[in-house]
Amino acid sequence: MNLDGSAVLHGSPEQVWTVITDPAVLARTIPGCETLQRTGEDEYRMDVAVGVGAIRGTYAGEVKLTDQQRPTSYVMHATGAGAPGNVRAKVTINLEPTDEGTTLTYSADAVVGGPVAGVGQRMMTGVAKRMAGQFFAAVDKELTSGAPVEAAPAAARASSAAVSATDAAAASAPAAAAAEPQVFTRRAPAAAATTSDVQTLAVGALGGAGLTLLGVLVGWLLGRRR
Amino acid sequence: MTTKLFGEPVRRREDARLIIGKGRYLDDIGAGALAAAFVRSPHAHARITDVDVEAALDVEGLVAIYTYEDLTGPMAEPLPVLIPHPQLHAPRTGYALANGMVNHVGEPVVMVVATDRYLAEDAAERIVVTYEELPVVVGVDAAREARAVVHEDIPDNVAARHHQETGDVEPTLAASPHTLSFTQYIERSACMPLEGKGVHARWDPDDASLRVHSSTQASTSVRAAIAAKLELSLDRVEVVAPDVGGGFGVKIVHPWPEELLVPMAAIRLGHEVKWAEDRREHFISSAHERQQRQEITVGYDDDGRITALDVHVWHDNGAYTPYGIIVPIVTATQLVGPYALPVYRVVVESVYTNTVIVTPYRGAGRPQGCYAMERTMDRVADALGLDRAEVRRRNLITPDQFPYDHHLTFQDGRPVIYDSGDYPGLLDKLVALVGWDEAAALRADAQARGKLLGVGMALYVEGTGPGPYEGGHVQVLGSGKVLVSTGLTSQGQGHETVFAQIVASELGVSMDDVEVHTGDTRRFGYAVGTFASRAAVMSGNAVALAARGVREKAIRIAAEVLEANPEDLEIDEGLVQVKGTPGASIPLRTVAVLSNPLRYAFDEAAKQATQFAGPGDDSKPPVAPGDAPGLEHRDYYSPIRSTFASGAHAAVVEIDPQTWEIDVVRYAVVHDCGNVVNPMIVEGQVHGGVAQGVGGALYERMAYDADGQLQNASFMDFLMPYASEVPDVVIDHQETPSPLNPLGIKGAGEAGVIPGTAAIASAIEDATGRRIASMPISPTELYDLMRDETAERTAASQQTSLQTGVPA
Repeated sequence: MNLDGSAVLHGSPEQVWTVITDPAVLARTIPGCETLQRTGEDEYRMDVAVGVGAIRGTYAGEVKLTDQQRPTSYVMHATGAGAPGNVRAKVTINLEPTDEGTTLTYSADAVVGGPVAGVGQRMMTGVAKRMAGQFFAAVDKELTSGAPVEAAPAAARASSAAVSATDAAAASAPAAAAAEPQVFTRRAPAAAATTSDVQTLAVGALGGAGLTLLGVLVGWLLGRRR
Repeated sequence: MTTKLFGEPVRRREDARLIIGKGRYLDDIGAGALAAAFVRSPHAHARITDVDVEAALDVEGLVAIYTYEDLTGPMAEPLPVLIPHPQLHAPRTGYALANGMVNHVGEPVVMVVATDRYLAEDAAERIVVTYEELPVVVGVDAAREARAVVHEDIPDNVAARHHQETGDVEPTLAASPHTLSFTQYIERSACMPLEGKGVHARWDPDDASLRVHSSTQASTSVRAAIAAKLELSLDRVEVVAPDVGGGFGVKIVHPWPEELLVPMAAIRLGHEVKWAEDRREHFISSAHERQQRQEITVGYDDDGRITALDVHVWHDNGAYTPYGIIVPIVTATQLVGPYALPVYRVVVESVYTNTVIVTPYRGAGRPQGCYAMERTMDRVADALGLDRAEVRRRNLITPDQFPYDHHLTFQDGRPVIYDSGDYPGLLDKLVALVGWDEAAALRADAQARGKLLGVGMALYVEGTGPGPYEGGHVQVLGSGKVLVSTGLTSQGQGHETVFAQIVASELGVSMDDVEVHTGDTRRFGYAVGTFASRAAVMSGNAVALAARGVREKAIRIAAEVLEANPEDLEIDEGLVQVKGTPGASIPLRTVAVLSNPLRYAFDEAAKQATQFAGPGDDSKPPVAPGDAPGLEHRDYYSPIRSTFASGAHAAVVEIDPQTWEIDVVRYAVVHDCGNVVNPMIVEGQVHGGVAQGVGGALYERMAYDADGQLQNASFMDFLMPYASEVPDVVIDHQETPSPLNPLGIKGAGEAGVIPGTAAIASAIEDATGRRIASMPISPTELYDLMRDETAERTAASQQTSLQTGVPA
């Protein structure tokens, strides 16, 4: 199935890129995100709890990014598996400057298997779009409020620091790549303070609609277990 | 013999179960099933521009939402044209879910599945479908004028032009001493079974099999349709018709969208799913019938003998033609009734309208044909000043003319050849039964009471029991129980009783030992369906043939055991015995045990069939070549053509000139369905038919407005006759056995409804002196007709200066 959508975010593409690539921000803006963990070079896993209509449950998903063109586009490859079904999604995300700030467009091409595929296209896309909408609304709140919605000051500093320190961050990339896996959760925003290298920032790709889509679909799979 | 039950008024054995609530109807099945509900079109003709399900997502318990985009393979194609015909030049059918267009109010657009029906309805209510409305075609005249079209690629709205003729009409009419031309109308009505449609489906993923229960009249064909549409092997699909709360024709149509969508959802969701139609759904998304405009020209001589009949019918087939042109063909061929017409030409133009589809409803085009022919007879009689009964008598086919070939082709593709009958006999009995010749006295008496009284009559011939075939299976168990199964379905006709009567009589067993099963593809996979008054004729003869096969085998086996000559044996009360030799006998149940040579004895009876039980013939195998274990037989009945039942009805109406209320005070029926299996059940069929005939004549109509909205889609607004409106019916029987089938029977299911509209119209015309050319007729319409100075008056009323009681 295909899922396309867009969101207007109040910030420059650079600011948007920075926010949606801040794992700490993502951990608190992705609907139902429990944990976010870096597992290797541009690879991450996360736990998300979803609950819309008949689609509910928690699941684990894995994501890999490619083709990063900061601050304009990247491609994300997401997979989620687990009885009674599985999903594989490829999501292209573009950022474009506008008068209001940035228009983010996403285009997801997902292969859905198992009974979850049986609930009807409009319902599946309807729920995915709804969750994507919730995600971007939360991201925009991060951009406009200047302070994270529900985060400790440390996290806020981390975000703003990231915005102003991107070049440095890019330079120190190799070192960070070797670092221990970092975990970000809603309940431990402070952890975000330790990161600002580009690989970690790249985890932000997880925040794309595609990831939300993944969350929706896999959550759906488990949800159907009830 | 004490077991000859054929012809006896045996009480319906299914009634006890049904009356005390032990019936198992569709909605009694699948308590744990997910429930389906549908978003249906509120517009009669529109293009779908958007479907927004967002708001439905908040409904707790929502499971799935399907639209056309979710249909794949054959499911994405239009529903089948069940009965193709060369003259159906522009067939159209809808999709299981609307594919961008809707052509009548009620067409399914979105299917919602939820944990229960309430939640499914809540979710359906929140789904927003956006439409772009298109011009609407309602009614046969609008379709004919074609200022707007239903299907854009059919500019004249004509789906089919059915044409039959038996000679050169124009010259014959030109040479006729008299001719009459007139146009008349008949309205829409519908079957209205108390139980609507319903489907339950259970998918077993482990052996990939589907079991579907449907409130249908054709379980074997529903099964084939589901297998084809869902791309399943036939052996993986079983369809069962449970107790069905009335059909009357609407449930012969298949596959209904829901019969495909519910199984599809059950497979996709891995959970049983059920849908039970509600009353409004039945009104706007099932099927209707009857509406026609009839343009008739008749030629006749001074004695009222018809020389030629030329009929042009405009038939409203609704938005689609899934059932082909069966109703038009039936009208065209059954119109001729019991009369010998030297030359007959009929053209039926079947036209599309933005209304619910038109498919057979009890009578299936015959009430319209009878209305055309019988009202013609009344007009000829009126024009010549002759008695209506006499004019009919002069045109009747006589008993010495059978088999009578009308040189027409019937709905089964076979010739219309009347097999047997005695139409003058029917007319004589009717005239006596209703007191036709005392009509003047009755009228005078009514006038003394300030009432207008009129009498009317109508005769019909009904082709019943069309093929291609039905089958039956009869098996005698070691317990003595006799299992009977046939594939066609039951909707309350009393099949369990009549088929048991037939088998008990043929086999020589007690009816209590006979168990009948119908409409279950697990028991009998080959069948056509229950329609066209065919169950008794088709399955009745099939189970009789199967029982005869069992009887033959039982006597063969018993003859060996009793060391008797098979010709000397008879079966009575379940005992195979030597005629006239008491004691020399063997129970049929023992014969059943012996018919199955055993190695293992699982009970006392079985011992008798084991290998050391007695001296065997070592020179023969236990099961002889060509023989088979078990006391059972399967057989089929396939008729050369339909058998033609007949009848004559007369109605006496009293009209109150103050309120113009029309009261049917007497209703007489003379009925001929050949040999009668069970007179009580036949009379019940006649009573029910007369009730529907009265409804069609005086109350029932589908009130569509110009926008294609059905304005009386509820039992508050759609009038059906109660017991208080149904007259007492006096019935006389005539039996002219059919030479076409072993039991000599003809169908009886639809007969009662066929002449109602014609007979009652005739009586109202007789009472008021005003030409009745549109039925049904309400008191209000009659009041307006009486006050209309331009309304046509009958010649009879002018001669007798009939007092109609209309204030000057």
